[in-house]
Order: sequence, then C-alpha cells, then structure tokens
Amino acid sequence: MSATVTETWAVELRGFAKSYWLGWTGGRVHAVQPLSLRLSPGRVLGLLGPNGSGKSTTLKALAGLLKPTAGECHICGQSAGSDAARELVGYLPESPSFAPHLTGREFLAYCAGLSAVSEGRVTEMLAWSGLAGVAERRLATYSKGMAQRLGLAQAVLHDPAVVLLDEPAGGLDPEGRLLLGRLIRDLAARGKAVVFSSHLLAQAEELCDQIAILGQGRLLAAGSPAELLGARPEAVLRPSRLEQLYLEKLRPHE
Amino acid sequence: MSDSRHNGITPALRRLRLLAGQTLGGALRMRLTPLLAAVAALLVLGSLWLRVFNFGASELKFIGDLGLGAIGLAGTLLAALAPAQLFFADLAGGAAACVLTRPVRRWEFVAGQLGGVAALLALFTAALGALLAGLLWWRGSQLGVVPVTLPVLLSACALQWMKFTVVAAMTLFISSYAGSALFAGCAGLLGAVIGHLRPFAAGGALEWLRVWPNLALFDSEALLASGQPLAGSLLLSLAGYWAICVLLFGGLASYAFKHREL
Repeated sequence: MSATVTETWAVELRGFAKSYWLGWTGGRVHAVQPLSLRLSPGRVLGLLGPNGSGKSTTLKALAGLLKPTAGECHICGQSAGSDAARELVGYLPESPSFAPHLTGREFLAYCAGLSAVSEGRVTEMLAWSGLAGVAERRLATYSKGMAQRLGLAQAVLHDPAVVLLDEPAGGLDPEGRLLLGRLIRDLAARGKAVVFSSHLLAQAEELCDQIAILGQGRLLAAGSPAELLGARPEAVLRPSRLEQLYLEKLRPHE
Repeated sequence: MSDSRHNGITPALRRLRLLAGQTLGGALRMRLTPLLAAVAALLVLGSLWLRVFNFGASELKFIGDLGLGAIGLAGTLLAALAPAQLFFADLAGGAAACVLTRPVRRWEFVAGQLGGVAALLALFTAALGALLAGLLWWRGSQLGVVPVTLPVLLSACALQWMKFTVVAAMTLFISSYAGSALFAGCAGLLGAVIGHLRPFAAGGALEWLRVWPNLALFDSEALLASGQPLAGSLLLSLAGYWAICVLLFGGLASYAFKHREL
C-alpha cells in the first residue's frame, strides 16, 4: 500500500502479530495472530472477544506500549509508539487507578502539564465529561463511573486524533454506560477515531461503526454491525426498554 | 518530538518537575513512610534511655552514633522499598501507561520517579536529623557541653542522603526489569547490604564486590566522632562518586525500562 493511502487511515494494523516467550516451561504464546484492520477518522471500532483474545494487546500496541512481534501499527500514518504518533493518541487503560489524593481538577492539570495543554482545556474537559460539579473532590471519593469519565477526559485532554479505550464500560452501572456511550459518540462526531474493547455486545452494537471479533488472538469477523448482522443500527443512542425502566425507578431515589 | 511544545530543555524540565512532584505526593501518602519515620524517631529518642550502654564512649557520642545508625537503617529500608512500591503501583494502576502515551520519554519517567523519591528521602533525613540535633543540643545543654556543630551535622545528614539516593537508584534499576515490587525491594536491600560490605572486598571470594558501589564511604558516624565537618575537597570527591553511582543506575534503569513492554 502506498504511503499516501496509508495516511488517510486514522488507525491501521498491517499484519500485526504479538507473541510472548513464557520461559522453557510456558513456551511461546501467540497473543495476537497476524491481524489487519483499518479505521477512518470519525468512526468507532469495537474490539470484541473473550478474555485473552488479544484485545488489550492490540490496543497497547496501538498506544505504543508494546512492540509488535511482526507487522506494523500506524496512527494517522505514523508508526505507533513514535514521538509523532504519541501526540496523536489518547489512551485509557483497563481499570485505571489514578492518584487517590488528587482532586479531579488536579489530576487533569497534571496530565495537561505533561501534554503542554492549557489550564482552560482542563475546565473544558471537566464540563464535557460531566465532572465539573465534583472537580474539587478527591479521586478516592469518585465512583467507578466518575473515575472512568475522568479517565476518558484525560485521554482526550490534548485533543488527539485517535482515542484508545480498554474496557471503558467495565464495572459501570447502566446509567454510567449510557453516559460513557454518549461521550464516545460525541468524540466520533468531533472527527476522532475511537477504538475500544468491550464484553458488552449490546453497547458495542449501538456505538460502533465497525466491529472486530477476536478469539484466541485471531480475527474471527470484521465489518459494520449492519454487514455483520444484516440490519442497520439506530443512529441515536437510546437506553433499551429495560434500561429506561431501570433509570425511571432509580431517578426518584437520587 | 515533532511538536515544539514538547522539545527542548524547558519542556523536559517541566515534565520532570511534574513527575517528581507526583511521585513525592504518592510517596508521602504511603503507609511505609510514616511507619519507618516513626520507628527511626523512636530509635533516635530511645538513645536517651539506652545511653547507659555506652561501652565507655562519651554519652553524646553514643547518642549521636545510635541516632545516625537509626536514621541510616530506616532510611535504607525506605530507599529500597519506596521506589519499588511506587514504581509497581504506577505500572499496575495504569498511571504509567497514561503518562507514557503522552509526549513523555521513558527516561523522563524514571528520572521523575528517582527525583520524587530523592525529595522524599531528603525530607526524611532532614526531619530525623533535626530531631537528633535537638536531642544532642538538649542533652549537651544539661551536661554543659557543646555536642556537635551545625556544619558537622549537616555534613553527616548530606552523606546519609547520598547513600539513600544511591540505594533508591539501585532499586529503580532492579524495578525497571523485575516482575514484582517485593522482589525489587528485597534485591534493593541486598544491594545496600553488599554496598556496605564493599570495604571488606580484598581478594578471594569477595573480590567481585569491588565492582559494586562502596556505600561505606557515606557512613557518617566518624564525622560526629571527629567533630570536624567534611573538608571541601573530600565532599566534592564524594559528591562526584555519588553522582556517578546515581547516573549509572539511573541510566541502566532508563535503558531497561525503555525496552520493557507495559
């Protein structure tokens, strides 16, 4: 593929493979078998699959945290992990635990300082993630949903072109999942390419423009939900009927 | 890095300051820090009650020796355990991943950790040194003797701090490739013990110890006994030796961490 064509993809995996040497007793484990995927700007890609299927490994390789055993990972045409690529990527790790003694604002200000982003952007991101009201509270007091939204805010603080989210909805209640889903769709509407891993198939169906199903490190299926399911997903993210009932029952007690 | 906001010395120093500050904040909130500080403070104060066992030395010398020994012991433990605990907490909690997907180089992350731990050890040494000074002067005033001058005590504390930071750099190097905080902390402690045995490496089976940093150079009990601060030239050569040790282990840690997959 020519370089010109490569640069049009926000995310591109070309024959990416990763294996680990676990010593003489464990042998070599193939975490990801040669995998090729592409994603355009403004699109959402969901990586689905059971534990150990290679979702997190793929996301980490795109974030530049580990090196491919074979193949290439590119972010907007830049090799993943390069200085140029790291400026274009935002990453939310699985089950993050940030400094509990900091407030939400202090934590984002710390991240902003590392990325040379203005303090004004911190306030903007707190408002965007719906955390402005709890910005002065210590992270130790944050609920799981708040912590995930803060994690998402730190990932997009420096306005990256590609956002990588590892199990962003893990452990969230339905309301938290809905909020997170709306934020992800908002990112896509702003032209960001979003790649996330999930076990929540219904949410992935609603959120994703593209889905890749992995199993034991192999790509089992890939395409849009419409292509894979033979039906077009709803354009607007809405709670399911059961979620609606759940939220209605909870609302008077809040 | 491609963006000018991230290039050059000033942005790198800003990132180092942020990383070190964050590490220091985390270190001050570890349970280990107040625990070891309390144990060391109790031992320093306990020297007042233990002074009857002075083995014929002067009472103030005994208090000074025991106090510095307590600071040295607790400080070495803190220098070996704190960096390992902080480093692995950052790896496990995803904080390292969030930092390293930003325009932060791996060596900056290691240097920030080392800087934060060095600041913690400076606070630790200063607080316990002040306690020991207060105790010596209080007891000296009761006995009508000037126990120790401020330059001597400052020199002794500076030497202790240098030793602690070498141990911390050693532990960070081990942490940069090790699989667990427990292993890194224990190996760091072992490194500190070997460093103290270094003067005994004279031929035979212990000859290999000569490649290891000589931590006994930073022992400061003799300073208190002599009552003389370090000569400028000696202080300079010790500072040079200290800088080489810290840069060597810091450099090795950065190299190992650069190739580590998170």
